[in-house]
Amino acid sequence: MNKRPPILLGVIVIVVALAALIGAQVVFAQLNQTPVQPVGFLHATHAGQLEISCLFCHRNADKGSNASVPAVQQCMFCHSVVAGETVDKQTEIAKVREAFGSNQPIDWLRVHRMPDHVRFVHEAHVRGLTARYPGITTQNLCATCHGGVSNMVQVSQVVRLKMGDCVACHRATGAPTDCITCHK
Amino acid sequence: MEVSRRDFIKITGASAAGAVLFNGCQVPEREMVLESPVRIPEDTINSFENWYASVCRQCGAGCGILVRVVEGRAKKIEGNPDHPLNQGKLCARGEAGLQALYHPDRIRTPLRRSGPRGSGQYQVITWDEAIAELVSRLDDQAKQSSADTVVIATEPTHGLSAHILNTFARNYGATLMAHEPLEHTALYAAFKNLFGQERAPHFDIQRAASVLSFGANFLEPWLSQVNYSRQYGEFRQGGRSRGHLVQVEPRLSMTAANADDWVPINPGTDGVLAMAIAHVLITERLADATAVQAMTGGAGADALAAFRPEEAEKITGVKVDKIKELARGLAAKSPSLVIGGSGPAGHTNGLFNITAIYALNFLLGNIGKSGGVQFNPAPPTPELAANLPATPMRTWGQLASRIQNKQPKPVNLLLVHNANPLYSLPPTLGFGNGLKNIAVIVSFSSFMDETTAMADLILPDHSYLESWGEDSPDPGVGYQAVGLQQPTVEPSYSTRSFMDVILALAKGLGEKTRSGLPWDDYKGALEDIGKKLFALNRGSVRAPDFASFWHGALQRGGWWDTQSSPTLPNPRPPALSRQMSLPGFEGSDTEYPFYLHVYASNSLYDGRGAHLPWLQMTPDPMTTVSWQTWVEINPKTASQMGFKEGDIVIVESPAGKLEVPVYVYPAIPPNVVAIPTGQGHSSMGRYGERRGANPFLILSSKTEESTGAMAWGATRVRISKTGKSYRLPKLEGSVLAVEPDDYKVVEITR
Repeated sequence: MNKRPPILLGVIVIVVALAALIGAQVVFAQLNQTPVQPVGFLHATHAGQLEISCLFCHRNADKGSNASVPAVQQCMFCHSVVAGETVDKQTEIAKVREAFGSNQPIDWLRVHRMPDHVRFVHEAHVRGLTARYPGITTQNLCATCHGGVSNMVQVSQVVRLKMGDCVACHRATGAPTDCITCHK
Repeated sequence: MEVSRRDFIKITGASAAGAVLFNGCQVPEREMVLESPVRIPEDTINSFENWYASVCRQCGAGCGILVRVVEGRAKKIEGNPDHPLNQGKLCARGEAGLQALYHPDRIRTPLRRSGPRGSGQYQVITWDEAIAELVSRLDDQAKQSSADTVVIATEPTHGLSAHILNTFARNYGATLMAHEPLEHTALYAAFKNLFGQERAPHFDIQRAASVLSFGANFLEPWLSQVNYSRQYGEFRQGGRSRGHLVQVEPRLSMTAANADDWVPINPGTDGVLAMAIAHVLITERLADATAVQAMTGGAGADALAAFRPEEAEKITGVKVDKIKELARGLAAKSPSLVIGGSGPAGHTNGLFNITAIYALNFLLGNIGKSGGVQFNPAPPTPELAANLPATPMRTWGQLASRIQNKQPKPVNLLLVHNANPLYSLPPTLGFGNGLKNIAVIVSFSSFMDETTAMADLILPDHSYLESWGEDSPDPGVGYQAVGLQQPTVEPSYSTRSFMDVILALAKGLGEKTRSGLPWDDYKGALEDIGKKLFALNRGSVRAPDFASFWHGALQRGGWWDTQSSPTLPNPRPPALSRQMSLPGFEGSDTEYPFYLHVYASNSLYDGRGAHLPWLQMTPDPMTTVSWQTWVEINPKTASQMGFKEGDIVIVESPAGKLEVPVYVYPAIPPNVVAIPTGQGHSSMGRYGERRGANPFLILSSKTEESTGAMAWGATRVRISKTGKSYRLPKLEGSVLAVEPDDYKVVEITR
């Protein structure tokens, strides 16, 4: 065994550990996270071409903290009649009908997740931005944080939603920047 | 650099471990799945949050809370901004109420013991069986005309629940007792003597210019912590000139750490210091002349000759100059407020201490003044004015010997609710030894605490987030206020509200027991009170009909009337004591060289919060230790005895001994050691039991001389090494500390 100062090994271990830490940060704080959803729902069709208001499905966004994901029944408002123009679309819509028929919820995957220890209230943001930009469409309003969802096929995260992003916008719009505003 | 094969394996191993370690930082997969229903529910909006106003029950203060409920699940507890007591603020124990609701070790059904007592073997029974069994046992005792062998033990309570319990116990003939470990008996006795009121006064801290506090840890669990803490914020930063706070107590508590001046004092001599301050106020003509005349019988300072500052210095250890400075400071900064409690009350001369402390307010002209001692009107209805104060420990001692000797009468049936006497009564009292003589023990606890573990029949209570209740806070806020507690969620398990069970028992026991208790359930009783409040037609909620009134009151969390001015006491200045009363201690100072200072844990309180992991992991504000008990020892003492932090020592009193790790604490005198309460449960659910040590186990059974209250400061101890050591779980030192130029670290030398 050749003898080396044991400190060297310690340094290597620390460096590797730090690399792992930073790597992990990159992995789970990545942008453009685009989960593959159980049903190939097209925001581009619904919010884009058909110009359905975001609030038609995410009906709690102007009422409470969570925007809410609609019940399967909500899809059936239209899709009990609309079967889809292409085979691909028909396949996806069939999944929705199947879920409704068999009384099984659809496990949508979260795209946007606020960091821990933050209390984010959709309602306050919808209210504030509407007051600031009278007559704004929900598509444009929601795009402030969610990006151009009405052009997306699979929804991706485009704003990091880290504290810096929140504070920058709060400063720019004159919204409160007290700690207790969000951390409570 | 050469890397051998062996080193390479080590490094890759370490980085694999790192990867596993940091993987834990990722968001758990289940949190990335969104829940959504298949069909749109008709009665709830998906993801919509409801906020229900209710009352916190994590201690006796009665703060108003708002509970965020989403799809029938309570998610968060906040302070109710409308409630006059806490005005939107809440403490850590209040926030942790959610964990009491969702605790995995909650008792979920009624249980009947199936193995030997204390074995933990129970069989599940139905509520009908449980109630029928209890009714028949109570009925048997009544038929044998031995209803007086039934003892009901609960926590100190007031208002409607006290009214129901008092009525039930009186009708049936049972003995009703209330247990609170760090009882306020001496404090309330002094309030009654001085102010002529059974209720605590309102301390107007927020408008005071100076506050002198003798051991009153009003920023920690003492009486009404959140109210006082909120007022303290106003006192310091409320836009007026900054208030001046002096804290007198042997150990630097968190309240003392917030003070402008901390005055360490020999344990139990607070009353002597207060009288010496009175002496200075009188001799220097700083006191209200009419009050002086009345309080000394015209004798002036001569009446207090025994308390000349020079004499007081010898007893209290507080220098003459300091005593004069304290007196002049109070007189110069008016309105002033002198409060005391906790430490000074927990001595054999507790009543003398507390009386002397509060009497200073008469000399300083603080009575009834803004920024001074204000009084609380009686609650608006007689039911709400009912009171069940703590039973002094001396009476508990008498009960213990009655149980042991079966004289003059045995105890055949013990009903326990929200009290854990087996944990917090000193074992020398003999309460635990006698339990085998009690035929049947019934517990209404939600958790398997020490007393419940000995129970033969368990009828678990709801969590307070699942049940109805009411609280007119005591101490109040200077006007009439009634907090309403309503269920915020459906009960998770087959539990039943204690009050509903008492009413069911009353119903089952026949007309005599039921008289005065016409209600089928507590909700009905509460609505009757609501009707009386509605009929007053004043206060925060007014409505054309009762239904709107009731909804309005529940929605706001209660009813209060800031304009209510029912007759308040106008106490006359009391005569000052000419006689000095000194504290007595168990154990001689040669054999047991240290005073034991027991204080309430900021998070676990007197032990009732030990089952909640959020509270366990909350670091103590002074030592930053969590999950453990420790003994605070002065560095000088520690170095003389060869102790360092984490050394496990034996703290031994004449009553018993404990093994506790040392925390070297510069802010405690060399002849005092301090241990917080809260830990050392033998049974309290998975997070609370077999952790730390319980200081109640080594307390002497000495009591306050006149009131019989527990004298938890009256024990002396000695300390010896075990040779074992342990790394204290603490936050302090985990981040490198720097010493700024402007704030040099000071060493406490006394």
